[in-house]
Amino acid sequence: MKLLWAVAALLLSCWRADASTAGFIISPLSKMKLINDSVELHCEVIGNPIPEVQWWFIEGEESSETFTQLFDGARNERVRVNATYIEHATSTIHLLSLTLDDTGTYECRASNDPDRNDLKKTPKIKWIRSQANIIVIESPKITADPTEVVNQTSAILRCNLTESNLSSKGSYWTLNGKVIEDTKSDVNKYHAQLSLEKITHAESGPYECVFDTEPQVKQTIEVKVLPSVGAYKHSEHGNENDKVVLKCVAHGYPLPTDWVWFKEDAEDGREMPISNFTNERYNIKSTPNQTLLTIDELDMEGDSGNYICSGTNELGTNTDKIKLRVRSRLAALWPFLGIVAEVIILVTIIFIYEKRRKPDEVNDDDDVGSAPLKSNSTSNHKDKNVRQRNSN
Amino acid sequence: MPAALADVLSPKPLDGGWGWMVVIGAHISIGFAYSTPKALSIFFKDIQEDLGASYSEIAWISSIMLAVMYAGGPVSSLLVRRFGSRPVVMMGGLMCGVSMVTASFGSSIVYLYLCIGIIGGWGLCFNLNASLTIISKYFLTKRPLANGLAMAGSPVFLCFLAPLNQFLLRHFGWRGSLLILGGMMLNCCVAGALMRPVPQPPHPGSMAPPMEVEQTNITKSKGSCMKTAKTFVDLSFFKDQGFIIYLIGNVMFIFGAYAPIVFLSAYAIKQGVEEYSAAYLLSIMGFVDMFVRPGTGLVANSKWIRPRIQYLFSFAMIFNGTIHLLCPLMTTYPLLVAYAVFFGVGFGMVFALIFECLMDLMGNQRFPSAVGLVTIIECFPMLLGPPAAGLLVDIFGDYKYLFLMCGGVITAGGVFLFIMNVYNYNRLDKAKRGNSSEQNQNNTEQNQNTIENQEQESSSEAQRELMDVAQSDPAGQEETS
Repeated sequence: MKLLWAVAALLLSCWRADASTAGFIISPLSKMKLINDSVELHCEVIGNPIPEVQWWFIEGEESSETFTQLFDGARNERVRVNATYIEHATSTIHLLSLTLDDTGTYECRASNDPDRNDLKKTPKIKWIRSQANIIVIESPKITADPTEVVNQTSAILRCNLTESNLSSKGSYWTLNGKVIEDTKSDVNKYHAQLSLEKITHAESGPYECVFDTEPQVKQTIEVKVLPSVGAYKHSEHGNENDKVVLKCVAHGYPLPTDWVWFKEDAEDGREMPISNFTNERYNIKSTPNQTLLTIDELDMEGDSGNYICSGTNELGTNTDKIKLRVRSRLAALWPFLGIVAEVIILVTIIFIYEKRRKPDEVNDDDDVGSAPLKSNSTSNHKDKNVRQRNSN
Repeated sequence: MPAALADVLSPKPLDGGWGWMVVIGAHISIGFAYSTPKALSIFFKDIQEDLGASYSEIAWISSIMLAVMYAGGPVSSLLVRRFGSRPVVMMGGLMCGVSMVTASFGSSIVYLYLCIGIIGGWGLCFNLNASLTIISKYFLTKRPLANGLAMAGSPVFLCFLAPLNQFLLRHFGWRGSLLILGGMMLNCCVAGALMRPVPQPPHPGSMAPPMEVEQTNITKSKGSCMKTAKTFVDLSFFKDQGFIIYLIGNVMFIFGAYAPIVFLSAYAIKQGVEEYSAAYLLSIMGFVDMFVRPGTGLVANSKWIRPRIQYLFSFAMIFNGTIHLLCPLMTTYPLLVAYAVFFGVGFGMVFALIFECLMDLMGNQRFPSAVGLVTIIECFPMLLGPPAAGLLVDIFGDYKYLFLMCGGVITAGGVFLFIMNVYNYNRLDKAKRGNSSEQNQNNTEQNQNTIENQEQESSSEAQRELMDVAQSDPAGQEETS
């Protein structure tokens, strides 16, 4: 009996020795964020058996704190919790569209104690906890001058970061999200300036002055120009009854929102608009940066001529012209027949000349080609003929 | 015409008169043969868009055409021997015309391979082989000049076809252009019409056919399969030392010859030259080539060079190779222009002499079969050369290794030819001195082609031809060697 108890105790201690209490590998870090931004907190816990991880939100002062557990989908779907339980536990909580009310302490709780959810016991005993502070602040005001550049040939963009508690290490500018290399500065910490000497479609786009603060703050200044519209090829050729694709591309910011095609009337030069409904042979496919006009079953008279593509954005319109030439199916046939005729005539002339000049040579058409150059000619009784010919 | 001459020779090549019309015909024929595969590349971009093929698929058209043109040599030789040059060239011209016309209706890339590549290639093959043969029949004393003039057709037609193709493409599209080009290639039929067959005495009964070639012709009619194969590829050529030397030198040349042309523009652009100027380099080369070929023919015809024409050929090869070796040093545009000029000179010299030397080695009778054999063997280095060079560029990322390789191979070939020819000429001189007593008998009897003399005949035959002309020509234009 005692032996049985000893063995049982040994086994139990072995089993218990296998188990280890939960411990944090990665704890969540505190962050400061702007309104409407998003934040992510990450927590990893190891233990045997694999611990369970929970997220809790703590509001209020010491001794009058309120604890709220955060589930996936809380706060009107602004909270997302992603957890994995493979070998060890990981959990990430995402908070989207931050508001000032999201400021507070966020706690990552983990436990692998089998009794952890028992309501009769206080959670603090069985759960390990790690905390991080999230502070949500209002976007500091950056004064941008000018707020927008519209259809100008040159401009100077300025940003001032004045009313803010944040400390800045420097600033730089981006265009279309890409950093402009020479603008990185440690000197201009609260004032950023960029001068654009010549504004063409290549320099247009959304510019951002970015201040190197924690968190990073920026302001956008849009530089807008008329769209630069160009035909891919100014002269296009198509074959009769075949199809042709006329293409126009646009550059600049903002890209055209509307594309319209016109056909120039041959006589009076008026521009007739074309759309998908004008003719079932026409097909227009447009995207902001290019437009394609496909014409099926080309007709030589009707479809030849000038086509105009016009792209319109909020500032205005620009156009370009394409000249379409439709080749007739048989266009190449006439020169071909002419050449064949010439060949036949020349060959005939050559043969006739030959026959007229030396009629007796017609019999010698069979050029065996194996007659030796120097030979046995004395034994060849055709010698006389040969001599005669050679004397020519 | 002195009576003595007619006794000794029959028939004597005209060396003038109608011969020059034949040269014009050959010029046109050879011109189309060499320039068409290159000039077609102007249409490739449009064909690619229309048929939805990839760049390498399209490039195969030219490759197949060139490959068939060279590989069909033996068949062409056979036909020329049987029927003479005129019907073969006219047939070739017709095939080329038909190939282009049918290609203009094509709707798949394989169809184009068939029409342009295979049928067109065969047509060009007939043209090439037959044109070279007829020159050897019409010319002896002025043969190098005639060869130079005829081979000049290649750069002339390329210079002419390239802008013409551009013009046609713009106005008629690629289909219309191929149709018109087909019509133009029918002019090869005109060229063929000009190639009046040389008046031959018809099969004299007393003329025993000692030539192996003749023998195989006769046995062929017995219907033996092996013998039929033998008529296509006459392996007895491989016993001929002069032929083997020529073949090895030629293979080395062809291997390295075309790659620099293919990659010259790309190399120039890498050195910082503009695209248009880079393309211009090839035009310069072609333009220079146009004049160098007849010029070389003229030089080769002179009495000092003619007997030792093989030396001139090896010199031309070494010159060409050296120019390529120097190319990596040419880094600015003026230097590249100079390179293009010298390249044109070297290239023209070699090509003017390439078939003349074979005629010199083989003599009139054996030339048609020999040229067929040479072209089919040359097919391999021609197809392998540019891709191998391209591989070098891919591996090393630098064009200079390409030029070094090509230059090295060509120069080695030239040096090899030179050394072997020194040896060969010496051997022939000794044999000639030994045989001089039998010389006159050989001219009157029929044993010139007995097996014992087979070895010496190859190169000495040409020497003897010249000697005979010199002996019977009191003016003494040619030097006896």
